[in-house]
Amino acid sequence: MANIFITGMGTISPQKTWGDAPLLSEVTEHNSERLACVEPDYTQWFDPRQLRRMSRVLKMGVAAGSMALKEANIAVPDAIITGTGYGCLEDTGIFLTKMVENNEEALNPTPFIQSTHNTIGSLIALMLQCQGYNQTYTQGAFSFENSLLDALMMLKDEPALKVLVGGVDEITDLSHTIQKRFGIFRQQPESNLNLFTTGKGAVNGEGATYFVLSGENTSDSAVGVEAVATFYKADEQTLKQGLDNLLRDANLKVSDIDFVLLGTSGDAGIDKTLLDYTVKMFPESSTGVFKHLSGEHPVASSFAFWLAAKMIQEQTIPSIVMLHDTGRKPKNVLIFNQYFGTHHSFILLKSCRASG
Amino acid sequence: MEQLMADLKKQIIEALNLKHLKPENIGDDQPLFGDGLGLDSIDALELIVLLQQNYKVKIDNPQDGPSIFRSVKSIAEYIRANQTA
Repeated sequence: MANIFITGMGTISPQKTWGDAPLLSEVTEHNSERLACVEPDYTQWFDPRQLRRMSRVLKMGVAAGSMALKEANIAVPDAIITGTGYGCLEDTGIFLTKMVENNEEALNPTPFIQSTHNTIGSLIALMLQCQGYNQTYTQGAFSFENSLLDALMMLKDEPALKVLVGGVDEITDLSHTIQKRFGIFRQQPESNLNLFTTGKGAVNGEGATYFVLSGENTSDSAVGVEAVATFYKADEQTLKQGLDNLLRDANLKVSDIDFVLLGTSGDAGIDKTLLDYTVKMFPESSTGVFKHLSGEHPVASSFAFWLAAKMIQEQTIPSIVMLHDTGRKPKNVLIFNQYFGTHHSFILLKSCRASG
Repeated sequence: MEQLMADLKKQIIEALNLKHLKPENIGDDQPLFGDGLGLDSIDALELIVLLQQNYKVKIDNPQDGPSIFRSVKSIAEYIRANQTA
């Protein structure tokens, strides 16, 4: 039985993942090369004076954090840990553009101050007057996994802590234009719902997701976090060995995994490798996909984490997610993510309810 | 002077992203900081940049900042007194 629990969750994503609607009951179709977040009205969390200086990623991040804290029924966490691959791109773009336009003189202070990666976690702390541990991990596509690992280690030592941990990344016009030049994303607008049937290349995405984790299950949480592991440029054998180690530590067998949530991105070549691994490694498990809903970005695994936790909580797998259905209920769910074929990670979540 | 103050009000709203305000909501003599418009020290830096970029006016002595940025009228008077033709 897992002894680290998810007691609150909040996410803003390219789907309407906030509010009271059942899990993915309304799927948002984007006919675009990039998936932009479906954003809530932020005035429910902030007054206009606070909002005026906040860039979009800050609003998304702070709002997602607020949702998670509200669900966990706590005002101030003991620690805030944030993963972000890109950081605050909008303010970085403004800052750099102004630097060029103004010939490196008279630079506006606000985008400069808010261009650093740790602005999101810092702003949450400032708004909550939280003076506890505050860390931001910016290790590309492992940013969320490393944030999670930090939180898990902290809670192993001090189970009573309430840790706010999350992943946040945004797309801006400037970042998308630059990334398109690399040829890694789709070049023409397409429906995200056809991501896995057409074209080559991933679809660019963004999102903000926070969770409250604790070693004490004060909110009768249904979901526990069992393990996280990352692999850089790993071959099949290394991944298999990593999986064996992770399952052994969790006292599980491969056949105990009910559902594998795959990080296929729509790039046929990369996806084929991941799917081949999956068929060999998890012959008895149901499988599903999520990046047609979130898009590809460095902390897309945080959306997968939210989705997996919701599926365990509600004991249902939305049809839009399902790839191969064995009819098993999602009790032990493994996220098997990849990022452009170089970064792989496993995150294992499990149901904490005796009845499932 | 009236036109300059009207322009400044629009520019301040734009530069400080005061979307909840319209130019007519800002009085000529209304204090900008503290209990007035509620601006803070980061806004003061933004206003220095605004004067430099839009009016080529620099504030040589930082001690003068509070009196210059007291209100829209005081900023306009400073621009008039220091702007080169």
